[in-house]
Amino acid sequence: MNQRNSAVIPDKVNPRLPGGFNLPPFGIQQILALMIVCIALWAVGVIWLGMQGASQWVGSWQDEIRIHVYLHSKDTDKATALKQKLELVEKVESVRQVSAQEAAAWMQGWLSDARMNQQELADHLPVSFEISLAEGASEFLFSDIRDAATQFGAVVNEDEVNLAQAHQWISQAGYLAGFASLILALAMALIISNTLRMTLLARSDEIHLMRLMGAQEWFVRMPFILEGMVLGAGAGIAAWVLLWPVVIGTGDWLYTMQIDLNSWAMLLPLLFGGGLVGTVGAFIATAKVSSGDIPSN
Amino acid sequence: MSIDQTKSQIQMQQLMVRYPTGKVALSGVTLDIKQGQFVYLVGESGAGKSSLLRTFYGGIRPSSGTLMVQGTDMRQAGETKIRDLRRHTGIIFQDHRLLFSRTVFENVALPLRVQGWKTERLIPRVRKVLSYVGLGDRLWSYPEALSGGEQQRVAIARAMTAKPAIILADEPTGNLDVDTARRVLDYLMDLNRQGATVIMATHDLHLLESHPGRVIQLHAGSLARVEP
Repeated sequence: MNQRNSAVIPDKVNPRLPGGFNLPPFGIQQILALMIVCIALWAVGVIWLGMQGASQWVGSWQDEIRIHVYLHSKDTDKATALKQKLELVEKVESVRQVSAQEAAAWMQGWLSDARMNQQELADHLPVSFEISLAEGASEFLFSDIRDAATQFGAVVNEDEVNLAQAHQWISQAGYLAGFASLILALAMALIISNTLRMTLLARSDEIHLMRLMGAQEWFVRMPFILEGMVLGAGAGIAAWVLLWPVVIGTGDWLYTMQIDLNSWAMLLPLLFGGGLVGTVGAFIATAKVSSGDIPSN
Repeated sequence: MSIDQTKSQIQMQQLMVRYPTGKVALSGVTLDIKQGQFVYLVGESGAGKSSLLRTFYGGIRPSSGTLMVQGTDMRQAGETKIRDLRRHTGIIFQDHRLLFSRTVFENVALPLRVQGWKTERLIPRVRKVLSYVGLGDRLWSYPEALSGGEQQRVAIARAMTAKPAIILADEPTGNLDVDTARRVLDYLMDLNRQGATVIMATHDLHLLESHPGRVIQLHAGSLARVEP
């Protein structure tokens, strides 16, 4: 038989050589792990989609939340005093008096170009102050702004206050969502680690033999690292697909609140997040096989 | 392979091996094994034959004394040197330790795969060594479809596929009938004639008559007899 013919692999024969970049075959354990991790990643996806919807609801597309205070008196001294008083409130970054012309132009736009007389509109509008808030929350911030406004007979735009408060609550919820995601990620890594540990046990003879034949550690471990990565990434994609029924099912209801969820934004985080937790799980699983059978002195 | 029969392949001086449990497996063993020798390690169960073989591939490290294998100091060698040594050592076990979930090809290809050979290059080499042991047509069979003797021949093929300088065989004929054991030994003798140093632990003393070689007898972890 010549060299060329002897290298031919017969039909239906698929050599699966262990080690290196060759993935071990997937079995029922891997499928179960994929399903469990998929559910956990789906839960993470739902949490962050909820955060996305809540952010849209409070209008957090704005970089900065601003509160407006309206003073109906045209007394310049009173306006200056109110501005100074508002500037003294803790966590107020700046106070800007909105010019009558700017306010009128904004009103004109808000009324969908009602073609009112700009000057007449400016004369009837109250003196407006735009308050920019500093980073971080102050417990009595909005009460202090209200007190300052009330002293000068001014009023605060309460809708904006409600939005700003909601924004603060959502920021807090963001931390909670991050914490929940971290806990779920840890659980997922441990599930994958446990699955790979079982695979490692099932293949302990193979691993031992490879080491007896002088295999390098990376060569022995790489298939399991890859398997963890593929498990996690596969679960991430499956979780992303399963988000679509949620988004489509709640679409009409969310639309009434002007919320338009973007599922595509979750694809890469779930894919790479899943891959990352899978890799971490694989490193945990293979950490204990690193000692090998080469005893030290 | 050119054989320099004056060159030491394995040298040991006052070798002592103590297991972590405290049991002394080998004590005060001084030996010199030249390149191209066929060596039988004999002795009762627990005499230290397997322990001695394990020290030759770094499976256990000497507790004291010196041991040089193919120029590597086995007491001082790091993991990289041990790996390198193992790549030049073929090991055959009594229970052959074949992977039953993998084909004969995959089993025999394993040492070369570990050394980074690509599948296309592996097939002719594996086919050649399997033809040598008379199993050229069983490339894609699974070990469970083979008889005990055939399985041991696959193990021999696996041990020789990377053309090792030393072949260590730990009771390779232990589970075989006399005729099959003789055939297995024929292969090992032939590999020895081709240049490999063969060190074989065995209980089958009758094999020594038909297949002569250097005999090293161990007793209770110490050297009892060396012939010639």
